[in-house]
Amino acid sequence: MRMPRRALAAAVVALVLPLSACGSGGDDSGSTDASGKVEGDITFQTWNLRANFKPYFEGLVADFEKKYPGTNVKWVDQPAEGYADKISADAAGGTLPDVVNVSPDLVAPLAKAGLALDLDKAAAKYKEEYLPGAWASHEIPGTEGTYAFPWYLNTGPLFYNKSLFKEAGLDASKPPKTYDELFDNALELADKSDGKVATLANVPTIEDFGRYGVELMNKEGTAFAFNDAKGVQLLSKYKELYDAKALDSQALTATPESSGKKFLTGAVAMNPGSALDLGNFKKQAPNLYKNIGITDQITSTGKVNMYVMGVMVNAQTKQKPAAVAFAHFVTDAQNQMSFAKKVAIFPSTAGSLDDPYFTEEDGTDETRVRIAAAKSLKNAVNYTPVLFSEQMKTELRNSVAKALQGKVSPKEALDNAVKACDRLLQQQG
Amino acid sequence: MASPSSTTAARVRRQLPTSPWLFAAPGLLVVGIFILYPFVSTVVNAFTDRRTLIPGEFVGLANFRELLHDEMFWIGLRNSTLYVLGVVPALVLLPLLLALLVQRNIPGIAFFRSAFYTPVVASIVVVGLIWVWLLDERGLVNSLLETVGVGRIGFLSDQWLLLLSAMTVTVWKGLGYYMIIYLAALANVPRELHEAAAVDGAGAVRRFLTVTVPAVRSTMVLVGALSSVAAFKVFSEVYLMAGPGGGPAGEDTTLVMLVQRTGTGLTGRVGYASAISVVVFVVTVALMLLVLRADRKEDT
Repeated sequence: MRMPRRALAAAVVALVLPLSACGSGGDDSGSTDASGKVEGDITFQTWNLRANFKPYFEGLVADFEKKYPGTNVKWVDQPAEGYADKISADAAGGTLPDVVNVSPDLVAPLAKAGLALDLDKAAAKYKEEYLPGAWASHEIPGTEGTYAFPWYLNTGPLFYNKSLFKEAGLDASKPPKTYDELFDNALELADKSDGKVATLANVPTIEDFGRYGVELMNKEGTAFAFNDAKGVQLLSKYKELYDAKALDSQALTATPESSGKKFLTGAVAMNPGSALDLGNFKKQAPNLYKNIGITDQITSTGKVNMYVMGVMVNAQTKQKPAAVAFAHFVTDAQNQMSFAKKVAIFPSTAGSLDDPYFTEEDGTDETRVRIAAAKSLKNAVNYTPVLFSEQMKTELRNSVAKALQGKVSPKEALDNAVKACDRLLQQQG
Repeated sequence: MASPSSTTAARVRRQLPTSPWLFAAPGLLVVGIFILYPFVSTVVNAFTDRRTLIPGEFVGLANFRELLHDEMFWIGLRNSTLYVLGVVPALVLLPLLLALLVQRNIPGIAFFRSAFYTPVVASIVVVGLIWVWLLDERGLVNSLLETVGVGRIGFLSDQWLLLLSAMTVTVWKGLGYYMIIYLAALANVPRELHEAAAVDGAGAVRRFLTVTVPAVRSTMVLVGALSSVAAFKVFSEVYLMAGPGGGPAGEDTTLVMLVQRTGTGLTGRVGYASAISVVVFVVTVALMLLVLRADRKEDT
């Protein structure tokens, strides 16, 4: 009867193995010392960039290997869909690449788990090369340090459909500049079109609350605060729009992709976007392109929203000098400028936005959008708190939806959302 | 001195206990690594506060206690249960009627058999997107409804219509699969029984109820069991039609969607999501037992 005993032992191992996985854990953030010779093999992971920019990145890697003989960079690219899950799986399995393309909200949990290198310690000498706001975008409230090099920035105007404005009797040459004008125009458009044309396609997100001037978190970064009077005011306005069909009836389940499609088909009159979208309009909706209006993002704070991409160094990399040198190389002024000329993004390096490419008009819409965006980026803000996780976004979205449906009052909805987000924040540790 | 044959026999006898295990080892290894280990791991995690990047500690029944007070869990349980109640009767009955229809040997019937089976082989993502386009506020269905004066219906914006739309997709996609199972069962029903019933004056409905249904009853139980388990674990259809948030205010979230939303990402609550998975497992097993018990009762 030897086998049954062995089988029993195997079963016990199977039961114990997962338990052991729960008991151990890594707070091994490793050393932050990145001095030493730049050499060795490293892996660099980007976020859905291979399809359109393969030659650029191959050239970038070749330039780095030429500059630092003895280095070998393996470039891998992951699709946009499920990127956070891929990083989660790699981080949990100990296979996180040495240098990783991240956004601020992805950096926060990695830094808390000791997997992101503190660049204030390991690469402080490079700090001055970047715009102060961009460098600060990878700081995490409640944690000392900065956990990724800022890479490219993006922001964009608000596009509107001039013909829909005209049909509603509105002056298409005077798009809304303030929230009050936006809400008034939206109600008028809905009224004139018998509710067939909505002005907005998305429910307000945390970024919208920030742009409206709502205080999102307390100063210590330990609790959310977007349920203040201003937050309630914004949500009440959206409720009014939703009831009047000035906010699209499918907004409660909309995604950025679905609302973009609605704008393309003329179902909604306004949509935020970037210079990149102009090309899409030209190709996919020529009629819309002929009637496209471009105006600035609406904000009560005087600061537009910006999206920041970063390049993080794995704190547990065996090749720290090479990984830090490569992350800096990817994000230095020269390479960011060269990347910005290939696609509608903006460098986060100090002084780059003063380049004639971002300041001189050539009469085209693309350049006009680019110049306006570059100008606004100088004091732009990433309104989304880095600690605002996917689960928190869902909580806010669901609470906002309940308020719009009239199931709870705007005040009650935001109180509930803040309570749920605070609970999740505490659980994050 | 032992003869060669007796030595071989002794060797075979000696090796006998291990040989079957060696033959089964590859299969056991696959089952162990990809089924048993994840299952045990999920059950263990359900009693911890493990997060994606933070190893958990044992918290006893805390996750299950939290479930009782989690509004979203009850919404998920409600929707998954409604899905079973809505989808299973349709998937037990409609494919049987379809099988009876295509069972006849009439010219061109092979085309219809293939046509009914096509949704089964189509990707659920493609199917889901097509239905989203059809049911959109400006989609084909709403345009037709507006043309005939009914007006536009919010198939994808009303929580109940959204759930109903997702159920429709599940039924539409599953019809062909269960139809094939019924076709195999119907092939074993003796033609004489139908003929005898017809001679006795039984009409088509009577013959269906008294001959066809009893003859394929065990297949109906099998279809009921398979479809109820699949319906309780529904994810793709609702995810595609209601969006990652689970419809307006998350009101169309199903339990498996909740597992995905809670347990994935860098801040995922693996322990809590595992607790929901354990509940899904227990309910699924209970459903199977219920269906099989009902079958046994009928037999006695």
